[in-house]
Amino acid sequence: MPLVNFTTREITCKIVYYGPGRSGKTTNLQYIYGRVPEGRRGRMVSLATQSDRTLFFDFLPIDLGSISGFTTRFQLYTVPGQVYYNATRKLVLQGADGVVFVADSQARRYDDNLESLQNLQENLLAQGVDVRGLPLVYQYNKQDLPRDLILSHVELDDALNFRSVKSFGADCLHGHGVFETLKGISELVLKRLATGSPAA
Amino acid sequence: MRVIEPWVAEPLHRFLSESSARLALLMTASGQVVAQHGFTRALDVMTASALGAAIVASTEELARQMGAGPFRALSHQGRAQGLFLSAFTVPRARWIVLVVYDSDSSLGLVQLFFDQLVRELQAAAPEGEAPRDVLAADFESDLNASLRSLFGR
Repeated sequence: MPLVNFTTREITCKIVYYGPGRSGKTTNLQYIYGRVPEGRRGRMVSLATQSDRTLFFDFLPIDLGSISGFTTRFQLYTVPGQVYYNATRKLVLQGADGVVFVADSQARRYDDNLESLQNLQENLLAQGVDVRGLPLVYQYNKQDLPRDLILSHVELDDALNFRSVKSFGADCLHGHGVFETLKGISELVLKRLATGSPAA
Repeated sequence: MRVIEPWVAEPLHRFLSESSARLALLMTASGQVVAQHGFTRALDVMTASALGAAIVASTEELARQMGAGPFRALSHQGRAQGLFLSAFTVPRARWIVLVVYDSDSSLGLVQLFFDQLVRELQAAAPEGEAPRDVLAADFESDLNASLRSLFGR
């Protein structure tokens, strides 16, 4: 659950961007970092290899401002997408309040997307978390590539989105869909704290 | 000093004054800040907390894979400052403390009073759950306005 400080009226939520290697998780955070005013974001920390592939995680804290009278902050994390780094992926996933699954829309990455999604479910289960109870949205990145190289939003929904949760087409390099994705997961995570919510 | 739950304040204040530590950060195992002393910017606190939790989590996993018992604490000794990092359990959760100290203190002093801090927190921690309804049912309009202003829309 998000951490709530009733004394100072602050809420802190942990959002994890998950998905196969090179699907655009880090690019999401880099775009957000570039758009959010300096006073409302912290430093972006990237624990990466020498070739700039994520080794442990990227981290970006942002300040959403006041929501229902609570100062609300989000901690955005990415996991390393490469199969090799599953041990560190598990660690970053610990205590996540919501997950954005960033899929690569390219048809040739179909199997990688499925494998990563299965890996997400396994890693959550290992921590005693049922993916059906966790706020989750999908982002289908690289929708700007030529049509013959990618699967459409509908095809990706059919392939990956078994629970029919919210999904967003995106081109993270240019920022399309980044805002909508963050808004989608924010609503789901905060809804769990809202008065009268069945999840609350 | 800023604390999420008031019962943390007194033990942490005592620890700081007795150990003469410069910075202290209490966090959950997933890197959420519970209390802090000495940092100036909330967003910097979150970064330190995320990194501290990651170090503890990766070290504990390494110990588990090696078949070693959990490491009790980690310390790094720099030229002017030292850093002490350790996980412990309170009734409702597993927490981590990150302490930065300088020449006014020492690793021994920090360790000595850390044990006392853990005992006091364990004794003071309430057993019950905190209330969970927080936001008004119509929080979405605030959220939309916040996100739009963040992205300059």
